[in-house]
Amino acid sequence: MYVPEPISKLIESFVRLPGIGPKSAQRLAMFVLRMEEEDVMDFAKALVRAKRDLRTCSVCGNITDQDPCYICSDSKRDRSTICVVQDTRDLMAMERTREFNGLYHVLHGAISPIEGIGPEQLKIPDLLRRLGDETVKELILATNPNIEGEATAMYLSKLVRSFGLKVTRIAHGLPVGGDLEYADEVTLTKALEGRREL
Amino acid sequence: MRVQSLEIQRYRNISQLSLDCSQDLHIFVGPNAQGKTNILESLYLLALGKSHRTRSTKELIQFGEPHAILKARVKRDETGSRLEVQLRDLGKKVSINGIEQSKLSQYIGFLPAILFAPEDLAIVKGSPQIRRRFLDMEIGQVSPTYLYHLSQLHKLLTQRNSLLKGLGTNKKFQVEFLDVYDEQLMSLSLELWRKRFHFLKQLTKWSGEIHQSITSANEELLIEYLPSIPITADMSIEEWRTVFQAELQRVREKEIRRGSTLLGPQRDDFRLVANGLDLHTFGSQGQQRTAALSLKLAEIELIHQETGTYPILLLDDVLSELDDSRKTHLLEAIRGRVQTFVTTTNLEGIDGETLDKAQIYQIRQGNIRELR
Repeated sequence: MYVPEPISKLIESFVRLPGIGPKSAQRLAMFVLRMEEEDVMDFAKALVRAKRDLRTCSVCGNITDQDPCYICSDSKRDRSTICVVQDTRDLMAMERTREFNGLYHVLHGAISPIEGIGPEQLKIPDLLRRLGDETVKELILATNPNIEGEATAMYLSKLVRSFGLKVTRIAHGLPVGGDLEYADEVTLTKALEGRREL
Repeated sequence: MRVQSLEIQRYRNISQLSLDCSQDLHIFVGPNAQGKTNILESLYLLALGKSHRTRSTKELIQFGEPHAILKARVKRDETGSRLEVQLRDLGKKVSINGIEQSKLSQYIGFLPAILFAPEDLAIVKGSPQIRRRFLDMEIGQVSPTYLYHLSQLHKLLTQRNSLLKGLGTNKKFQVEFLDVYDEQLMSLSLELWRKRFHFLKQLTKWSGEIHQSITSANEELLIEYLPSIPITADMSIEEWRTVFQAELQRVREKEIRRGSTLLGPQRDDFRLVANGLDLHTFGSQGQQRTAALSLKLAEIELIHQETGTYPILLLDDVLSELDDSRKTHLLEAIRGRVQTFVTTTNLEGIDGETLDKAQIYQIRQGNIRELR
């Protein structure tokens, strides 16, 4: 079957995106053909700008269009606390809470010998440099609660011991607003272990 | 737990079979390859939602038929329920009292069952790996957190082993990095050891009593846990941690040289000892079989303790391999408490009193005939 090259090219491009198979790609491509030209231009520009204008913040590793990023350059933020996360998406999740007013440090991954990811492949040297000046008082380790995330947190806590900071690990347990009866046994056990006195 | 009736349709070599299971003991007699084990397998399927012999559903359906159906009426205390398993080429459906259960995990456990087949001899005779699998599966049935910690341990081990290999060859990671993984290995291992020691203590208690009864008090059976580090049940968890830490330091060089983790629950074993002799090495075939049987029967007591009901017992072709007195003692040990289904090629050596109370069926080419 003959498909005009511009369409097949568009379909191929969509297929490269995660979570999109050939059929979805075809549907998206056909939709683009029916879109207003102006909207298509905006879309194309957004793609190019995202790639061309964005960079990682030289301080915290967050994705930004200005350096340092808007969080690092915000004077209203508490500079004595740094929250360490694995990924920009984790930073965004933390930001959505609107409860954390400190700064971040994005590692861009977790330590994983099997994938050859060690401290040098992550932004760990950058973090140590930031801890060098005296303003930072607390380091919150918010890596994922799995083997790799825990190993990274444990490694960091050992590494920064000499700085004399307060080092904390985020808690894990029950989701808020859920029913106890629906929680799986492992989560419930963790929640039980991490119980607090009232 | 009692199975009151069993119905099988278009299953393996059985076109249609209806069984009234009012007795405590049901014996299926017949030559080999007639369909005896198929009946036990169908009960196992009704209990655990899967076969112990095959993973393919297609194999379970009679040749040329679209689907097979297994039904059982079961009774726990005074409450009766209907279980049904529908087998199709592309999968199976399970239901309780006509309500389909979307998750197999919700179905399993409704009818607890223990199967004892000739292959189980490997628990005594086979490699440590088989014994660890036995432990992990049995503890997993009672403790979901155990299974979680076990899978975490395996993930950790792939990372740690890969780190150990890397330390030997390139210098990307520093040796200090092992400390982090040692820490994680320790906390997961302590958790698993705690459960294993607890489980084995229960199992030793029950299997010891049962073994005495089967062997007319001639043999004393002990289960000795052989952890990969020198820890014992009467030490505290903190002492375990101290020992483990020291041991890990001691073997560190060796681990780096070999590029693999040498200590931990994944390296443990247990030993069955009868009258002071290690059965794996010194036991006769008969002794090994009896010990495996004692372990399985001990599980019955464990399930009763954990769930408040006795499982059903399925004995596949193991009677003929036990001598007469062991046979009789076995049947006595379960009498009146555990509903039992047995396959055998002949009835020789089973005492008259037991036979009097049993329901006996003759199986020939998938057809069943009640002998008595």
